[in-house]
Amino acid sequence: MKDRALSIGLPLLVAVVFVIGWHFAVQITGSDIFPTPLMVVAGLVELAQKGVLVKYIVASLFRVASGFLLAVFVGIPFGLLLGWFTPAMRAFNPAIQVLRPISPIAWIPVAILWFGVSDIAPIFLIFLASLFPITTSAMASVQNIQLVYIRAARNFGITGLELFKKVVFPAALPQIMTGLRLALGIAWLVVVAAEMIAVNSGLGYLIIDARNAGKRYDLVVAGMVMIGLIGLGLDLLIRQMEKLDQVRWGLSR
Amino acid sequence: MSKLSKVIIGAVVVWTALTILHLQMNLGVSLASLLGPKSEIATAERFRVGFLPVTCHLTCPVTDWINKNTAGKGFYEPVRFSGFPEIKESVIAGHLPATFMLAPLAMALVEQGVRVKIAYLGHRDGTALMVQKDSDILTVKDLRGKRVAIPNRFSNQYLLLRKALADQGMTTEDIELVEMPPPDMPAALYSKAVDGISSGEPFMAQTEMDGYGRVLYQAKDIWPDFISCVLVVSQKTIDEHPDWVQRLVDGIAKSGMWLEGGMDHRMAAAQAVATGYYNQDPRLLSFVLSKPPDRVRYSNLRLARADFDNIVNMAVDAGVLKRRLRFEEYADPRFSEKTAGVQEYAWQGK
Repeated sequence: MKDRALSIGLPLLVAVVFVIGWHFAVQITGSDIFPTPLMVVAGLVELAQKGVLVKYIVASLFRVASGFLLAVFVGIPFGLLLGWFTPAMRAFNPAIQVLRPISPIAWIPVAILWFGVSDIAPIFLIFLASLFPITTSAMASVQNIQLVYIRAARNFGITGLELFKKVVFPAALPQIMTGLRLALGIAWLVVVAAEMIAVNSGLGYLIIDARNAGKRYDLVVAGMVMIGLIGLGLDLLIRQMEKLDQVRWGLSR
Repeated sequence: MSKLSKVIIGAVVVWTALTILHLQMNLGVSLASLLGPKSEIATAERFRVGFLPVTCHLTCPVTDWINKNTAGKGFYEPVRFSGFPEIKESVIAGHLPATFMLAPLAMALVEQGVRVKIAYLGHRDGTALMVQKDSDILTVKDLRGKRVAIPNRFSNQYLLLRKALADQGMTTEDIELVEMPPPDMPAALYSKAVDGISSGEPFMAQTEMDGYGRVLYQAKDIWPDFISCVLVVSQKTIDEHPDWVQRLVDGIAKSGMWLEGGMDHRMAAAQAVATGYYNQDPRLLSFVLSKPPDRVRYSNLRLARADFDNIVNMAVDAGVLKRRLRFEEYADPRFSEKTAGVQEYAWQGK
């Protein structure tokens, strides 16, 4: 009980100290441009009253969910395949390692050229950003499987697809899940960059739009706060998946 | 059913819900219209016209606004962008039939083989160079050694600054130039990160309205009848839909005249555009359009060869263009010529 109180109380204390520090930092420097926490809250209230806050959150979540799920459906099978067939890994891994460190921001011009100004371009950017961590973690997870599992399965006469379904995938799942958690964090991180493309909704768009709107840095920071809070929510959500039986066995080792 | 399959099903359900919500809330598409027969409006050909929330592009939203109020609907879809690079890429990729764009940028695209034409002007003037209110920069000469921000090297603000310096026997070597997106300029001036900023309105007027910026020069002091942005149309659109291009050019001509038809028109437009299209504080656009009224003008928008020859020459000198493009290469004045008899929108604003 005391432990639980601490795990909620301490972070809350840090947050309160941070917000108070922020407030006085603005007050003391007399900044006319940087908003105080209260101004940011007022900005959020204004957005909520205009009805755009929920809309923007839905838009961003939609794009992140679409890009992320697409990356899951492409990345996991691809990664498992590469992990299983060593020649395929040798062939593709250098290309993956070359593409992986390229920032999604660098992809923006290409995304516009390919997909124009619609929802597809930002989804593509989020897909790209989350694809590589998912693929590499799936690949590594297969490579890290202890040979004894596979040998044991073979002794029981399990081969082919059956072996993959019953042994390889379950054995790889815990590490895949770690990759998914990492990828979801990156996907959400990329939302601002992805929404710099001419879409007209989303939390990233809110920030770009607030810059265009003149001296509305309260809305810029409001967008940042919302992105941070929702990011925290997403992380807590995906951590729940680590509690699944299929995953937990690998983590509690 | 295993917990894992529940998670997968859950993810799909959440995604589906998000998609439906996004379609309804942000794209204006209801589930019923997706499942039912295609509605007329959805399938009707809608042309996209790109613009930025700056006064150089004001006639784009104003034309749409007036049409929506007089005819019940607009005849094109104004698409707001957040910067010129994104506009440029959309044009190159052929996703944008028409857009407002910096004149030298359009010329540079033509020089690089992109098939677009300048069809009409969007405005006159509407640019300034601002310095800090209490700074010791009182004339252009005082800019020596100072750091000045311009939108980018393909901007007319750059050419304007070069001319202002040249008039004083100086060059851009005498100052320190930085490229910066216009929306970031006011904050940069406020925080004294730069000594001067020059871009299209309303970002210049904003520093004046908020009390920390001072005008060093207005465009008209240096370059009378200054042009920054023009209407650019893809050659494909001109070939396939000349009637539509004419309609757009006529619309811009009419709304330009309408904006010059009195201060009440300008204030009504400032209110409607700021809230409905730019998402800015209406006071800002009201300020730009009235203090003084000739800060930005929307008359005399027809293409004139002499104006453009001038820009080409200055752009070549500045190294922005490699060769002296001919007027016919980058401009199609046919649509502009047909606006001669056009009358301003007969509407009093609401």
